[in-house]
Amino acid sequence: MAAEGFLEVENLEAIITRIEQKSRKIESLLKQSKPVEALKTALEGSPLKTRDERCKSANWIVVHRAIMAIKDVDGMLASLDPEYYDILMKYLYRGLATGDRPTCDQCLRIHEKLTERAGLGCILRSLADTVNTV
Amino acid sequence: MAAVAVHQFAQSITCHAWSPDQTMVALCPNNNEVHIYKFIKDRWEKLHVLYKHDQIISGIDWSIRSNKIVTVSHDRNSYVWNQEASEWVPTLVILRLNRAALCVQWSPKENKFAVGSGAKTVCVCYYEQENNWWVSKLIRKKHNSSVTGVAWHPNNILLATTSTDGKCRVFSTFIKGVDPRDSGAGSSNELKFGEQIAQLDLSFTWAFGVKWSPSGNTLAYAGHNSMIYFIEDVESSPSAQTVAFRDLPLRDVLFVSERMLIGVGFDYNPMVFAADETGLWSFVKFLDEKKTTQSSSKYGSQFSEAFGKLYGQSKQGASNDTVEPSRPRGGAHENCITCIVPLRKGGETVVKRFSTSGLDGKLVIWELDNYIDLLQ
Repeated sequence: MAAEGFLEVENLEAIITRIEQKSRKIESLLKQSKPVEALKTALEGSPLKTRDERCKSANWIVVHRAIMAIKDVDGMLASLDPEYYDILMKYLYRGLATGDRPTCDQCLRIHEKLTERAGLGCILRSLADTVNTV
Repeated sequence: MAAVAVHQFAQSITCHAWSPDQTMVALCPNNNEVHIYKFIKDRWEKLHVLYKHDQIISGIDWSIRSNKIVTVSHDRNSYVWNQEASEWVPTLVILRLNRAALCVQWSPKENKFAVGSGAKTVCVCYYEQENNWWVSKLIRKKHNSSVTGVAWHPNNILLATTSTDGKCRVFSTFIKGVDPRDSGAGSSNELKFGEQIAQLDLSFTWAFGVKWSPSGNTLAYAGHNSMIYFIEDVESSPSAQTVAFRDLPLRDVLFVSERMLIGVGFDYNPMVFAADETGLWSFVKFLDEKKTTQSSSKYGSQFSEAFGKLYGQSKQGASNDTVEPSRPRGGAHENCITCIVPLRKGGETVVKRFSTSGLDGKLVIWELDNYIDLLQ
């Protein structure tokens, strides 16, 4: 039990470090006006399995930064590979749960276009999955 | 390749089954009765009403060789109906359940049937000649939630189940004195009753509609997250494939051949899945061709109105005029399809005709005349 706890702590530190690295990379991608690349980077390696809220929040801040930088939603979705759809949908629902007006507006805008593209199955997968949460 | 016959039997149909010669259909119109209809001249005539259950009937199966109907109900009981002269005579089967029975299926040899229940158990029932009754043996403490589906392997021994705990399991149902030792089921003969052979932990949410392919090599089941799972070689070295699709989840599936499967469910329209030469499964198309004209509508679902309103609000000051109201989808079914049954002619290995029923109370017969068309 103690060993498991120790492993978990180790893991958490590693996850946080990784998210910090991601954050720096995203900032530089945004400066180069590559919002889609930034979003992909943000979504990649999201800490889905861990139950630790600190990791999830840290990653959400990074994803949020990337989501808010998207101007051309159609263009973004056209260049985003379908394997990212499910995870993006999960973050959109996290965004809608914040209740923050600009965040919700942006998330709804993307949600509309993403649903057209990925279908209702994508929504079902985000809502039904209670194991891999964001 | 579409619906060849559509008939509205009731407000809603919970389940249906066909007589051995496929001239009669037994269905439950969402109450405690089973109605048996026969197609005479040009219309469906109600021949019998089987009235014995106290609550909604959740499962019906009609055995092909012995011409017996088994029914299970939310009243926790099961009856085996036998035709004597022109009457259907029920025999009560004591299932020993404390929750509703949810599904039932005759084994391929028709000497056993399996019942899935809300009591987290599976009952395997067999006939005892000396006492003249059906005995129920329970598989207990294996499921963590309701058993939503049961499916018999062609070897008459293995039974697959799906459950709302998200898992699909395979059990041995070998019963001494009922199943011969050398029934050709290979290694599964040495297994005791109720022994778990496999547990497939692929879905994170409710699992439904488990089926074996005609040979028993492939197992398929659906998750409530718009995914379908295909597992090869469950007994020896299982290998799983997961197919995510873009529309609403499936409730039931049916293998029409080793390499093709029809899925039905919340999307009203049967979906065709097929495996290519390398054995890779994928979604092919919707069966109901009318869907293609409908899919041009904005979201193609009954949720479109709600979504439209949501989006409308997010655009500050924009009028809601652009929101499309939801409209009927124009397919054969107008609500969730809960049941798919093959119409198999004797000796056929592939299914060319099958029927579906659902919450809209319609029974639809589909014909697959040309497999090549399907794959295009």
